[in-house]
Amino acid sequence: MSKRLILFTLFAVLALAVVPFAAAQDAPQTYKFAFVPGVNPDPFYVTMAAGVTQAAIDLGVEIIQQDPAAFDPTVQTPIIEALVARGDIDFLITAPTDKEQMIPVLEGVRDAGIPLLTVDTFIGDGDYENGEVTFPLTYIGSDNFQGGYIACSTLAEKLGAGAKIYIQNVRPGISTTDQREEGCKAAAADLGLEVVGVDYNEDDVNTAQQQTAAVLEANPDIKGVFGANTFSAQGAGAAVQNAGLGGAVEVVAFDASEFAIELLREGTVTEVIAQKPADMGYMGVITAMAYTRGVTSMPKRIPTGYAVMRQDNIDDPDIARFIYKEQ
Amino acid sequence: MTTTTIPIRRSAETRDQIINILARTWSLVFLLGMIIFFSATGPGFLTVRNISNILVSSTLVMLMSIGQTYVIITAGIDLSLGWTVGLASVVGATTMRNLANGGMEPVSAIGIGVIAGLAVSLIPGLVNGVLVAKIKVPPFIATLGMFGVIRGAAFLLTDGQNVVGNLPSVVRDSLRVVGNGSLLFYVPDAGFTWFSQPPDLSAEQLRTLQKLAPYPVLIVAAVVIIFAFILGRTQFGRHTYAIGGSKDAALRAGINVDRHLLLIYVLAAFTAGIAGVMHIFRFTAGSPLAGEQALLDSVAAVVIGGTNLFGGEGRLSGSVIGALIIAVLQTGLVILAVDALWQFVVVGIIIIIAVLVNQFQAYLERQKAHE
Repeated sequence: MSKRLILFTLFAVLALAVVPFAAAQDAPQTYKFAFVPGVNPDPFYVTMAAGVTQAAIDLGVEIIQQDPAAFDPTVQTPIIEALVARGDIDFLITAPTDKEQMIPVLEGVRDAGIPLLTVDTFIGDGDYENGEVTFPLTYIGSDNFQGGYIACSTLAEKLGAGAKIYIQNVRPGISTTDQREEGCKAAAADLGLEVVGVDYNEDDVNTAQQQTAAVLEANPDIKGVFGANTFSAQGAGAAVQNAGLGGAVEVVAFDASEFAIELLREGTVTEVIAQKPADMGYMGVITAMAYTRGVTSMPKRIPTGYAVMRQDNIDDPDIARFIYKEQ
Repeated sequence: MTTTTIPIRRSAETRDQIINILARTWSLVFLLGMIIFFSATGPGFLTVRNISNILVSSTLVMLMSIGQTYVIITAGIDLSLGWTVGLASVVGATTMRNLANGGMEPVSAIGIGVIAGLAVSLIPGLVNGVLVAKIKVPPFIATLGMFGVIRGAAFLLTDGQNVVGNLPSVVRDSLRVVGNGSLLFYVPDAGFTWFSQPPDLSAEQLRTLQKLAPYPVLIVAAVVIIFAFILGRTQFGRHTYAIGGSKDAALRAGINVDRHLLLIYVLAAFTAGIAGVMHIFRFTAGSPLAGEQALLDSVAAVVIGGTNLFGGEGRLSGSVIGALIIAVLQTGLVILAVDALWQFVVVGIIIIIAVLVNQFQAYLERQKAHE
């Protein structure tokens, strides 16, 4: 009995440990571009991959995509190094998982003679023109500072100058969410909103709800909350609804996963700021193609914009197409 | 001779008594002190709504700390509980969604989802139990391994997504009746109502709505009472302490230590399963990450509550107070608008103080034994 249990356990553990690896594809094509996102599956990068695939079909390029299982440089590095070792890659499109630690890895790619560009995230300070790192061809991505600025200027538009707002963020030290917070604060300063405070929830919806509920008790006159990612906004929105303030307090969420849209439809959040990852993927491939064909006038920074989603426009196909894809 | 020793013994006894009472109640005294402090300094802290918020938000850590108390009393630890919460919430929410989309009535779909979530939580408990009790893997290592296995399993079930959403809105509405509901509501100018809030409240009245008996709190209170009874009043509880005190002595006393330990890990995982199901009710979605952050808080709650990390002693009431201390602290610091980074520092210091008090108590007891 116990032996059988042990065997069963061992088998179960082994079965769970074997993670299927994506098979590399062979195909006789003129150009092969490697695409290494930050982490997958993840709605943001799934959507980006859709843009990459579309551009590849349109241009007749072969894409070799390898996904890190975690947003972590130690996971991403061996993948990139293995792709370089193949020896048949003409270009690398990647979202580096750390702006410092990935510098030497991507230098290795450059030294192997493979040109590269970064999408969504960057290495160094992101300024490939005059910054500390200049060898990547270009950085294609949305400006998170601008995203935070847009989020909180829509709050200012709705609430008017003088209104009090509160920020729910993930954890200090993440470049994207830090920049969103800074952008929101800058908008608040420019447009006369008062930021009551910022709290960090460690990406935990329970904590986000607890903190927001407490802040709403202490400051009953708060009129808006900015959630720097989906869980932050979900917890904040749940606290707002529990306090009977649904409709009276605006909750803005960042990133348009399907779950965020669900929260928008049911009223937990009132606005969703969507990045355009498919644009990043598509632009990445055509820029790489242009470079490979000898085009030289590439900008070192290609900003992609945002879409602002509300209950009243979310069924508009021009807006809905920016909802991130799950698969 | 006797006349001289009596006063000495008396004073020693009084001292011991005072220390004993202090050691047993310091966490309660500390909790009350914190409540008084935050009430005096934090605007909006001492309101029915805020107290109700604190109680509801403490339920997650409290549930996990119940199971953790049992495990720690046996001189073990369960690091995998947080992911068990996530696994249960993912399985429960997926079951509910699929059944409801298949045309099942929402209440039945929710019922089966709850059973599925609770049932799946038993599996990691069983594996932990087998590893620790039968194969003698140290609990820290066994449950650390399962930490990874359960995490992977939960994410495999969601295809790597953070959330299991998309529950039909009828299901979500039914979930909310429990997760955000209360047995008794009160609105200052509309009076008390049972089971649901008074109908047709204005926006102004909604803001004064008070939930006097939130269901999540009632459910957790029931779980606490049951588990406290088992630990304090049954043979199962006595055996738990015996195993933590000395495994060899427990064996000699004829206790089936292996089977008992296995059951303890299953029990602990089950409390995490309850927490996972509760997450679905409160947030109308499942998430592999549901209990990730609460794990360390649950261990902290147990330690603050006076349970000895080396086993043999501890009380469930202490862990409940520990969980409340953490929730009051986290809410109070936010209300006082303490810088977020300092909040980590303060919570950490409180945990260290708790351990120091426990060590001091153990030291005094050793001294007493030498006398």
